[in-house]
Amino acid sequence: MSDGAILVVGGGPAGLSAAHALVATGRPVLLVDKAGRLGGAPILSGYAKLVPSGEWARDAIGGMVARVQSHPRIEVLTDTRVTGFRGTPGAFEVTLSDGRTRRAGAAILCTGFTHFDSVNKPEWGFGTYPDVVTTTQVEQMLSSGRGIHCPSDGRAPERVAILLCVGSRDRQIGREWCSKICCTVSANIAMEIREALPQCSVYIYYMDIRTFGLYEDKYYWQSQEEYRVKYIKARIAEVTSDGRRLVLKGEDTLVKRPITIPFDLVVHAIGMDPNVDNREIAATFGVALERHGYLQKAPSYAGSGMTDRAGVFVAGAATGPETIDDSIAQGQAAAIAALAGAQRTAAIA
Amino acid sequence: MPIHEKSLIRKEDLRRQEHLVLEGVDVSGDWSTFIGARVLTDYNERLQDEIAALPGGENIHRCWQCGSCTNACTVNAINPDFNPRYWIYLIRLGMEQELLRDKEIIWQCVSCHKCTYACPRDVVPEGVMKATAQWLELKGHVPTNPSMAFDEEFSAQVFATGRIEEGRLLRRFFRRTGQPLAQPWLVAIVRGLVARLPVGLLARLGLAALVHPRTPRWGRVRRVVHDYVETQNTRRRAALGLGPASKETAP
Ligand SMILES: Cc1cc2nc3c(=O)[nH]c(=O)nc-3n(C[C@H](O)[C@H](O)[C@H](O)COP(=O)(O)OP(=O)(O)OC[C@H]3O[C@@H](n4cnc5c(N)ncnc54)[C@H](O)[C@@H]3O)c2cc1C
Ligand code: SF4
Ligand code: SF4
Ligand code: SF4
Repeated sequence: MSDGAILVVGGGPAGLSAAHALVATGRPVLLVDKAGRLGGAPILSGYAKLVPSGEWARDAIGGMVARVQSHPRIEVLTDTRVTGFRGTPGAFEVTLSDGRTRRAGAAILCTGFTHFDSVNKPEWGFGTYPDVVTTTQVEQMLSSGRGIHCPSDGRAPERVAILLCVGSRDRQIGREWCSKICCTVSANIAMEIREALPQCSVYIYYMDIRTFGLYEDKYYWQSQEEYRVKYIKARIAEVTSDGRRLVLKGEDTLVKRPITIPFDLVVHAIGMDPNVDNREIAATFGVALERHGYLQKAPSYAGSGMTDRAGVFVAGAATGPETIDDSIAQGQAAAIAALAGAQRTAAIA
Repeated sequence: MPIHEKSLIRKEDLRRQEHLVLEGVDVSGDWSTFIGARVLTDYNERLQDEIAALPGGENIHRCWQCGSCTNACTVNAINPDFNPRYWIYLIRLGMEQELLRDKEIIWQCVSCHKCTYACPRDVVPEGVMKATAQWLELKGHVPTNPSMAFDEEFSAQVFATGRIEEGRLLRRFFRRTGQPLAQPWLVAIVRGLVARLPVGLLARLGLAALVHPRTPRWGRVRRVVHDYVETQNTRRRAALGLGPASKETAP
């Protein structure tokens, strides 16, 4: 691979789009991912139909993977990490976890996020009751074709509760951000459940509904108006069990009443934590973390996706909770910035 | 006219219509919200700042009304009208009259801090309850409650002498709260003490009750403590738009 290659770390939506944009301009790419396959969260976690396209993740993101994997000028290294990164823009030396080295003109970090682990909110029953699941598990039930069911005994639920903001917007566990997409994803999942199981009622427990921009009518309103999903303004205190069904306890704040409601399935709308590797990534690439633990991105006015190290760029959920569409756009923008950065410095040198 | 939600009916809002005919329909009887509408006519914009100026109330502005405090609350489980989330809302928006409707229950917080550990915004609702109870008292909306009276007597004695003499504390507390000194449980304790304690110790206890000994060189400490307490009290009262306290906290 030529010295002119650009290193892309992470092969999720952001990294796939950056890699594709780079080769489209004729630049070779070295794409490194620690996972055994490309695709990032939508593929590795088996998401179902994506917001807002409605396309299956395996088709939409799978298409992006195929495009990158079959390209002769993209070297794809899975099950690989970057352990060393030295040099200056235009001439970086990259050390890989298998000991090999490569040269690169610039690097784009597209290392994404880590799903919040619901066992960190034990009061909401995940890990204690099998029928308390996460949005990721529901996505998997849908994408695998198995359908919505209660893991305990496989029955179809008659009543489902979705709890929003699990692992987001919570000082108790040091997560002071909004994960941005989980309201919309939850409304989408609620409609899918109602579609598949018309007899099943779906309730969403919320503090705020953040179906921003064009997601308002397409997801929030549609779920209420066409799918009769019910929204209740309450943050649940605890999820327990009466031996047969799950029991949700809380305060319905609008009627100022305690609630104790039985459910068959409780879904945690889990948030997007900073990637657990971020400290290591920051140290390896010599870039800073912002105060929540995501990779720090410079203001965009001078150029997209810049970090505080020249020649190193970031894109996607590595920089904070992001949607797929935005991650893709940021991947392309960072590709342009990296090309310009690598060229400019190479010309000076 | 049947009203299903009895708890929403407030006596003062009831309107008796002996003969009322609307659009040809006889609707005579007791009316609740329909005619005497409960309209909020203003916000007291000082209320939140006043609560925030009292110890414990500092973080009240962070609340986003999620209800986690209320549904974790020990007292709410017994009395659904005890609702920290709701009171925080009233205070934040300055609905003072609504808040005062619950002045007889706000002080019932048992300081278990379950709310503190549930709150996602770190409001410390327990502190807000404490501040609100103090606010009610300072503003003269409620008499000093017994537990507060006990605290005051306790502090006053420490400030004065640097010590606590339990007998005197109890006497003063009972006098202030209008309770007889000869409480059966107290009599039993005293009998037990007299029967079991060595004579020397009993004599010292008796002497202490008569002469109120002070901690050695307490004078200077007392002045510093006194000044500090005065400054704090004056600051709090000023934040509530009140003048200096009429009664002194220290000698
Ligand atoms: C339940 C759920 C449903 C969602 N549904 C939608 C949806 O319908 N629509 C939508 O727009 N968004 C959705 N999202 C958000 C979506 O997952 C993200 O926007 C998207 O995955 C971000 O892409 P990314 O490439 O930045 O990061 P990721 O998808 O996280 O990809 C990061 C990649 O980097 C690799 N990597 C990580 N660390 C290292 C390392 N140290 N070295 C090498 N490689 C590394 C990972 O293996 C991974 O392949 C959903 C999120 C959740 C939690
Ligand atoms: S997007 Fe919605 S569910 Fe997700 S953290 Fe933000 S408010 Fe909560
Ligand atoms: S500290 Fe007071 S308000 Fe908080 S949970 Fe306990 S009783 Fe309720
Ligand atoms: S738990 Fe905290 S944020 Fe939620 S209503 Fe109570 S005080 Fe407000």
